[in-house]
Amino acid sequence: MKSISLYEDKGTFLNRTAPESKLLYILTAVSVPALTGIEWAGIAFIALSALLLLTGRVLKKTLPVLGVSGFIMLTVVVIQGMFRRENMTPVFSLGPCVFYREGLYFAFQIILHILNILLSFCVLMLTTKPSDLIESLVRRGFSPRFGYVFVSVFQIIPQMTETMGIIMDAQRSRGMETEGNLLTRAKAFLPLISPVVMSSLVNTRERAMALEVRGFNSRCKKSFLNPRVKTAADRYIQAMELALIASALGWRILLWLM
Amino acid sequence: MAHVTALHLKYKYPGSDTLALHDISFSVERGECIGIIGENGSGKSSLCQALAGLIPGFYKGAYGGKVLLDGQEAAHMDADTLCRKVGLVFQNPFNQVTGAKLTAYEEVAFGLENIGVPREEMHARVREAMELLHIYEYREHYPFDLSGGQMQRMAIAGVFAMRPEIIVLDEPVSQLDPQGRKEVFEAIRTLSGHGITIFLAEHNMEQIAAFCDRVALLHEGRLICMDTPARLFSRDDLETYGVEAPVFTKLARVLQVRGQDGLFPVTLEETKRLFMEKRQTGAGVLEWLE
Repeated sequence: MKSISLYEDKGTFLNRTAPESKLLYILTAVSVPALTGIEWAGIAFIALSALLLLTGRVLKKTLPVLGVSGFIMLTVVVIQGMFRRENMTPVFSLGPCVFYREGLYFAFQIILHILNILLSFCVLMLTTKPSDLIESLVRRGFSPRFGYVFVSVFQIIPQMTETMGIIMDAQRSRGMETEGNLLTRAKAFLPLISPVVMSSLVNTRERAMALEVRGFNSRCKKSFLNPRVKTAADRYIQAMELALIASALGWRILLWLM
Repeated sequence: MAHVTALHLKYKYPGSDTLALHDISFSVERGECIGIIGENGSGKSSLCQALAGLIPGFYKGAYGGKVLLDGQEAAHMDADTLCRKVGLVFQNPFNQVTGAKLTAYEEVAFGLENIGVPREEMHARVREAMELLHIYEYREHYPFDLSGGQMQRMAIAGVFAMRPEIIVLDEPVSQLDPQGRKEVFEAIRTLSGHGITIFLAEHNMEQIAAFCDRVALLHEGRLICMDTPARLFSRDDLETYGVEAPVFTKLARVLQVRGQDGLFPVTLEETKRLFMEKRQTGAGVLEWLE
């Protein structure tokens, strides 16, 4: 059984970079274009994210993520390109569907934002061990309980999926049809879901007790097995990110005052 | 002062009409290994959870009596003190994996992080526990990829690393294959040599007889008796309580081979020794069989 985490240790610079630096990178990549309102800033961050993912040797792993969101982006293009209220200038038509410059430009801006957010998150998620990410947040005061929920989901969901497979096999061996048309599947749903839910509840209770006896609810100050990851490079990176955010904020205030 | 004392312990689960534990009293000295036996539903798991402070702490329900650990009432201990005092190992090794760590080494350290053990000491304790339970070689393995026996030993290592004075094992091998069982029982044997008070709830009477100094027999939530394995398994009424004696004891009972104290042997070694003694005195096993 494997974790559903997208993380893979490739031993690259990004893997060694502190999770805080990557979190701050997301904040920078999202806030700087939004604050400045400069379109090329978004494009620059997309390019930077792609470059980082390439050097982190995980660019290929972003394709499924982009594939899933690709559908949403396509719908944005269709809806905005055809039906935006400000649409005036036709650009091209596909049969009876006419696409307009104003709507397509707006869709392009939305897609830029989506890509920027997705790729900057990929920089974090594909190169950071979930437990390291949460550990760094817990060190900064994030609740260990929420942290546990976030991290354990990556490993417990595959376990539940495996349990579901076992229950499905057991029900099949007793003659239940689990494959076929929608009605057959709907009929199979209840006899499958109730044992899955029940066994999950029992397992969750036992896991909660196991956590309890291992001091999960202890009021002691937690300690950490692994030392804090923060290199000299991280200090410079974080300083640069903060400076960029501050500059963008300054720029926005300046525009507002003028 | 006894290390662990139960005084008129009573407990009823929420929504239940019957008592899961009914007026249970006993005391246990430091370093003793106590077996807990009884048929399913006799209250073994409830007693284990009461000893670990999960009853009444974790469950609701009606609770009466006391569990005293070194004279302090378990029900009034905070989570931090309690988990340093008592460790609990469950039946299902899967459910003891926290799901928050990616290696067995980190998994064993989980409890130590929670109670704030300094990093250097944490490494020393984790290594010691893993070496003791012969799982250090799996330290870099993904916890869910370990076999049942390895996973259960990892759970025991996680508990042992917290240096509790008492370890309660609730049917720790019930879901394991023979190899896994062997591994876990070897681990328990190692623990019992470290001065830890052990409570072992188990259905395998041969193992109970081999490991435990005393055995508690439960039936319908009541403590029927708590005695040495030889005394308890020499009782004539065991089957009334849904319990069978170890196979060696049953054989000796059939052959009426008793020790000098009039009790039946409970382990293979004792049985062999007794049979050899009888043979030397001219009375062979075959003669008895005839």
